[in-house]
Amino acid sequence: MKMRRDTITGIVGLLGCAFFLMQTQSIKQPAKLLEPGPRLLPYVAIILIALSSVALIIKGYKDRNIEEKPYFPKGGVLKITKSYLMLVVYAIAMTYLGFLITTPFATLVFIYDLKGTSRVKLVPSIIISVLVTAALYAMFVFGFQVKLPAGAFFE
Amino acid sequence: MTEYINALMICLQPINLLLIVAMVSLGIVFGAIPGLSATLGIALLLPITFGLSTETSFVLLLAIWIGGVSGTFISAVLIGIPGSSSAIATCFDGFPMTRNGQAGKALGIGMTASFIGTVGSVAIATVLSPVIAEFALHLGPWEYFSLCFCAITLVASLSKGNIFKGIMAAGIGLLMGCIGMDPINGANRFTFGNVYLSSGISTVAQMLGMFAMCQIIRDSARGEAKMPDADVSMMKGLGVGIKDIVENIRTIVFAFVVGLWIGFLPGMGSGISNMVAYGYAKSISKNPESFGKGNPSGVWASETANNASLGGALIPMMALGIPGDGITAMLIAGLTIHGLQAGPLFMTEQPDLAMLIFACVMVSAIVTYLVQILTKRWFPYILKVPYHYLYTVILVISYIGGYGISNIMFNIYVMLALCLLSVFMSIAGLPTSPLVLAFILSSKLERYFRQGISYAHGSYAEFITRPISCALLIVSLVCVIWPFVSDYLKQKKAAEAK
Repeated sequence: MKMRRDTITGIVGLLGCAFFLMQTQSIKQPAKLLEPGPRLLPYVAIILIALSSVALIIKGYKDRNIEEKPYFPKGGVLKITKSYLMLVVYAIAMTYLGFLITTPFATLVFIYDLKGTSRVKLVPSIIISVLVTAALYAMFVFGFQVKLPAGAFFE
Repeated sequence: MTEYINALMICLQPINLLLIVAMVSLGIVFGAIPGLSATLGIALLLPITFGLSTETSFVLLLAIWIGGVSGTFISAVLIGIPGSSSAIATCFDGFPMTRNGQAGKALGIGMTASFIGTVGSVAIATVLSPVIAEFALHLGPWEYFSLCFCAITLVASLSKGNIFKGIMAAGIGLLMGCIGMDPINGANRFTFGNVYLSSGISTVAQMLGMFAMCQIIRDSARGEAKMPDADVSMMKGLGVGIKDIVENIRTIVFAFVVGLWIGFLPGMGSGISNMVAYGYAKSISKNPESFGKGNPSGVWASETANNASLGGALIPMMALGIPGDGITAMLIAGLTIHGLQAGPLFMTEQPDLAMLIFACVMVSAIVTYLVQILTKRWFPYILKVPYHYLYTVILVISYIGGYGISNIMFNIYVMLALCLLSVFMSIAGLPTSPLVLAFILSSKLERYFRQGISYAHGSYAEFITRPISCALLIVSLVCVIWPFVSDYLKQKKAAEAK
């Protein structure tokens, strides 16, 4: 039997609660306090998540025979995983190579990744990627005085 | 009054006026395109404000907010897809009007109703907020705790679908707010030995990761980034006259009052007010059967109410420092970036800045109306912006914003982690509003609660024995219990009907 999303959410919620409960034990609690101390809010949050997790597991079990529509269309999970990995690769590349080197490539990749069923031509996309990088660099660095990553290799 | 006039003069300085025009126009584009929103616009602008003066920052943020909220009716009228939940009821009659060849008139009503709603509600907020702030100065940590608690429970209980999902999202927000040093003893919580986490999770990183990045990759994966073509005929002139306003005055007045009140209540806002006002307009109409087929009253009601909610939301934000929704939470974050704390002290100690906020909203509303009148005929083209280029630019700006928080790559990785969390929350059906509100209010909630107990020498009784605090806690309790009672009553009624 396939588990409903509510049930999975509840189980993940309970696992998260167990993890954060253990972590909360390591928060230093000052002695002789008049008030509940720094462990209070984490405990409250954990209790709220745990209670709602149990409620969602019960709801998921009650609704187990009701058909659930998939959240993503066919191929959607693969697509979002691919898009997310691209974001991570861009962040890692930017850490070492900096904004100016990585962004034109990342922009081009994002345009192709997000185009869906639209037609995109390579040459105009390359030009747009370079122009977007240059325009954003100029706007933030010179206009708004915001620093951009130079890259660990070049610092 | 002097402060307000001074604030108006600041807004009317050429550079600020130019910024308002630019940001309002950008806001209209963000509001008009389904999937983008004023919230996203503010999230993207927040990092830009780091290097700017407080005045300029607020001119930017408030102008994009007003333009963004107002612009949501454009796609609702032209293609029947609301720019955000605040324009859902606008679709019901706005789109049929377009199909009946009245696109120009429907857009004119949307523009004028938005203008009336915003200007009227902001004028009331400007007058009421200082009075409420003055009163709020007499409140203690007990009342403030109960107020924060009430705001979070209201938002959680009004979450779409299931109250437990709202509570879970609020719990996650509270847990995220715990990361870093605790606000009273300075004890490190959930930092896992990482020095960067000692100062907690940045609000900007949270907004960019959870709103901008998540929305883009999620929409792309769900194939929601395509729109139908809009009808571009009959777009000349404003399309509305004084006669139209007089004919619908009852609907406009009621929608305005409903919008203002609902906007004032935490967690409700324009997403609900437009539906309530639409329902009322239908109930008082002599031709209720014409609703849904292109009745202009439906558009008047929806658009007046959702924009009146904007002024309503300003009151608790300014007078009490309590954000009513995601957007006002972000505006409070914008204040924090500049070392300011919204609330009664801000209203009384820095009235010039407080009045600047009200004046800027007012000027932005007027500029929005003028920009919309001048650009009305090009509205259909906004909806033709190629998504893949627009989204790509937003993604790159998100990275710049993430890095700009404190010039370290760590915040970009935090953003990516929160983007992943947000994707999982979307799949699980967990709403983001309770999380954002709980995250923003977590430190206040904790500080007031612990201070309250400290001041009362370890006693919890003050939370119940003080009347305002007790009343707010009762409201919170009712909010949590009501969905269950309501479900029970519905089931009982259904069983009796059988």
